[in-house]
Amino acid sequence: MASQTLNSSMQPTDVYGGDEVSAIILDPGYSSVRAGFAGEDTPKSFVNSHYGVNESGTVFGDDAIHNPLAALDIRNPMSKEGIVEDWDTATRLWEYSITSRLTSFKQADPRTNGLNDDLKDMDVEMDGIEEGEKPLEEHPLLMTETAWNSPKNREKSIEIAMESWGCPAFWLARNSVMAAFGAGKATALVVDVGASTASVLAIHDGLILKKSVQKSHLAGNWLSSQLRTLFETSEPKVELVPHYMIMSKSPVDAGAPAQATYRKYEKSPTDSFRALEEERVLTEFKESVVQVWPGPGRLNSNNQMGMTNLEYAKGQPGRVFEMPDGYNQMWGVERFSVSEGMFDEKAALPIPGEQPITKAQTIPEMVKASVNAVDMDLRSQLLQNIVVTGGTTLINGFTDRLNNELVAMYPSARIKIQAAGLTAERRFGSWIGGSILGSLGTFHQMWISRKEYEEFGANVVEKRCK
Amino acid sequence: MTSHDVRDMLDLPGEAAPRPAKKQKVAAPRPVLKGLAREVQNLGGDNPIAIVPEVSVFKKKRFGSRKPAAKWENRSFKNSARDDETLVLKHWRRKDESSAAPSGEGEAVAQDGGVVEDSTFAKYNVKVITPQYDDEQYQRHLQDNNWSKDETDYLVSLARDYDLRWPIIWDRYEYQPAINLDPETAEVAIVAKAENRTLENLKARYYTVAATMMKVHKPPESMNQAEFNLLELMQNFNPNQEKSRKQFAEAAFSRTKEEAREEESLLIELKRILARSDKLAEERRELYARLEAPPSTGNIGVFTSSQGLQQLLHQLMQADKSKKRRSIMGPDGTSPAGPSGLNQQPSFDRRESSVRESTSGPSGGSNNKKGPAQPGPTERRQLAPEEMQLYGVKIPERIPSSGPSFRSEKLQKPITSKSSVQQQKMLSVLTELGIPHRLIMPTIAVGESYEALLGGIATLIDQRKVMEKIQGEINTIKEKKRREEEERAAKMSGFGGDGVGDDRDVKVEEGEREKSAAPSMSDTGGQHKRSASVLSAVSEKSTKRQKK
Repeated sequence: MASQTLNSSMQPTDVYGGDEVSAIILDPGYSSVRAGFAGEDTPKSFVNSHYGVNESGTVFGDDAIHNPLAALDIRNPMSKEGIVEDWDTATRLWEYSITSRLTSFKQADPRTNGLNDDLKDMDVEMDGIEEGEKPLEEHPLLMTETAWNSPKNREKSIEIAMESWGCPAFWLARNSVMAAFGAGKATALVVDVGASTASVLAIHDGLILKKSVQKSHLAGNWLSSQLRTLFETSEPKVELVPHYMIMSKSPVDAGAPAQATYRKYEKSPTDSFRALEEERVLTEFKESVVQVWPGPGRLNSNNQMGMTNLEYAKGQPGRVFEMPDGYNQMWGVERFSVSEGMFDEKAALPIPGEQPITKAQTIPEMVKASVNAVDMDLRSQLLQNIVVTGGTTLINGFTDRLNNELVAMYPSARIKIQAAGLTAERRFGSWIGGSILGSLGTFHQMWISRKEYEEFGANVVEKRCK
Repeated sequence: MTSHDVRDMLDLPGEAAPRPAKKQKVAAPRPVLKGLAREVQNLGGDNPIAIVPEVSVFKKKRFGSRKPAAKWENRSFKNSARDDETLVLKHWRRKDESSAAPSGEGEAVAQDGGVVEDSTFAKYNVKVITPQYDDEQYQRHLQDNNWSKDETDYLVSLARDYDLRWPIIWDRYEYQPAINLDPETAEVAIVAKAENRTLENLKARYYTVAATMMKVHKPPESMNQAEFNLLELMQNFNPNQEKSRKQFAEAAFSRTKEEAREEESLLIELKRILARSDKLAEERRELYARLEAPPSTGNIGVFTSSQGLQQLLHQLMQADKSKKRRSIMGPDGTSPAGPSGLNQQPSFDRRESSVRESTSGPSGGSNNKKGPAQPGPTERRQLAPEEMQLYGVKIPERIPSSGPSFRSEKLQKPITSKSSVQQQKMLSVLTELGIPHRLIMPTIAVGESYEALLGGIATLIDQRKVMEKIQGEINTIKEKKRREEEERAAKMSGFGGDGVGDDRDVKVEEGEREKSAAPSMSDTGGQHKRSASVLSAVSEKSTKRQKK
């Protein structure tokens, strides 16, 4: 097939552009790390970004961190902005996500692989590791980063890839660009609402326009805090008890207090562990109950019939959610109001100890600011190619609402929103784009090779990956 | 359906041994399978399920070619499009048949690294060509007060890095002038930095540089078409125009909903008007064609009286009826001239409606068709004064003794009343002015101005005649004077200057006359005639005197 000659008329349509070199795509985020081979449609390895620490060491992955008996302190190597803070742990976490599922390099027994050793023994062990097989010696690595990553962090990532993992080639790509590629666009306005940050930025021909980068914290975690506020303020107060606390429960009527027997632990789990487990319940709640008012108009604005949308939403059927302790309740208009803050700053529930959100942080305003920061000639094209990605955008009605808001904002422009229908494609949008990019034959000329790294130093990543 | 079939469909290996035996079994209960298929078909309801029963063919094909499985190898390759060509990556490729035959040897070659094939994708690497210049060339051709060489270099390098994607170049443009120790240049640099470059600014600079360098490298005369076009394109770049275009685009982009809606409705209206204007133009053209139709050769004197008209109308109506629904205005109905049928029995009602029809006639066929259906023939619509003026309706206090006549006829009068020479002259003036001899649409207003025009033409012709006459006289007098002078000169040579004063008198007198005649030329016809006659009398006198 490779030897087949192609005439010029065939080239644009008939060429299979793929040429797989078993590259590995690593897409780290605040809530999870996605890793897999380029050319596949979903990441093979999906690892929770949170990790647990106790006296005996550090544990990674969902299999280990949800153990209430281990008295784990749950931490996250990423900052609230999706940037790596704790490089040592991040490196180990990523290595875990790659080696546990992807490469032939088997993680050795934790007692001997050097990962969990004290620093004193480190030097001795390091030699052993260097002589031994490095995890990615045969695999080029394509890593994603946020658009606002610092140059220092970027250099650090190529250092890790080259020095500790021994990659033959490396590339650092922006996750929003990858998300656009995943949706099949080279020019797009990417609306990415993940766990810790929501961002809007414009991409032209596969390069981000730096002036258009907008981000705010109105994403999944913020929505969770809205839910906590909702539970706190609702009457009666809804207790958020995670699953691990429940030994048994008996069914109760809607709104009645829970009847459950609770588990007692000798060594009570840490607060951070509880927070992690509570977050799981909240995630379930978000997935099954929370909805975005789809528009037209805001939840608090009037509709054509003269009544507010809020009243209309009250008339909509509610949804029942049963807490782990058996408490259940019908959630009516509340399920709209918790998410309304993402679009209307005035509707956001106040979170104790936090600044009230501003108008500029809402998603439509971010789109507006982002569009205004690019050249006039690009704007209409961008609005026709809006790529919506990230797990939080899966909340029911999100894209409808976004579409309605944008149509109202730009009445003379054509708005077209591209949102993957499949859950996995929406959640792993940037990984999938990386998978596409990494498997392209024309991408081979882009890789930063080991030789180039050795020649120019870590600085090369700034020069090449723009 | 047996597990074997399912395995086959899903391409699963295993249980290969009992296959031949099972195959025979499958062949036997075929009819049963068919029955089952019918049940399955029932499940589909009205839509029949498409079942392809060609399983056996598929199998035969599959088992027929018992080729060994294709061999693949993890082959190394490099990419010549890379800056660093030493990077060797590996991908899985089908093993070549030739190298597969002596198995093992091919691998050895690949591992030697002797021949590493190039990636097939290397050829897709395309780079833009950016202008190249050296210091000297820059000094000579590319100096600009607003741009330092450093910044120009930076711009060109950005253009190369981002393959001339201007929105990105503008987005990433962060020129920080090199901090020089020389205070003078540093100051300049700071000034330059303060400037916030717009996209148009960057483009304009780049295109100037590129165009200039293009000309330096190759004179425009020797460029080929494509190159020259590019050069022209770059030279014609107008940043201000671009800027205003963008401002317009931005204004259009940030329209409010109301504005957008208004514009939309205006556009719809425009579309409607355009659609209608086509139809209107068509109708008008038709109308003109009919108006400019050659006048009928027959005598129209019969129709000048109201009775004659009535008769004509009646005839037309008859013709119309016989042609079945083809309106009077139809292209064929225009030439029924000729007073053939003279049986006239016009009822009053008929007459009323027909009069209305004839007045509103030229406004179009549709109007005409509607006419008889809508208003009853007995009721007569009272026209408002402005409508009267619009349609040119006049109600005379008494009917003139000659009876009603065509307005167009009346218009012809000023011409026809003149002598044939005069007529000719007037017509030629009309032709000169580009006005048809017969008015196309003799409305009252047009008629009045036409009349005025004809009056003016008559005056003009008169004036011209007078002027020619005077000119002639002046010429004769001049000639005479010349002769006299000659004579006097002859006399002077003979005897004294007698008679000189007398001559001078005459001359002065004439000069005065001419002067006094000149302003009267611009007066109205009657006055003018008088002064002309006076003038001619004077001139006669003078000639007489001269003769004396």
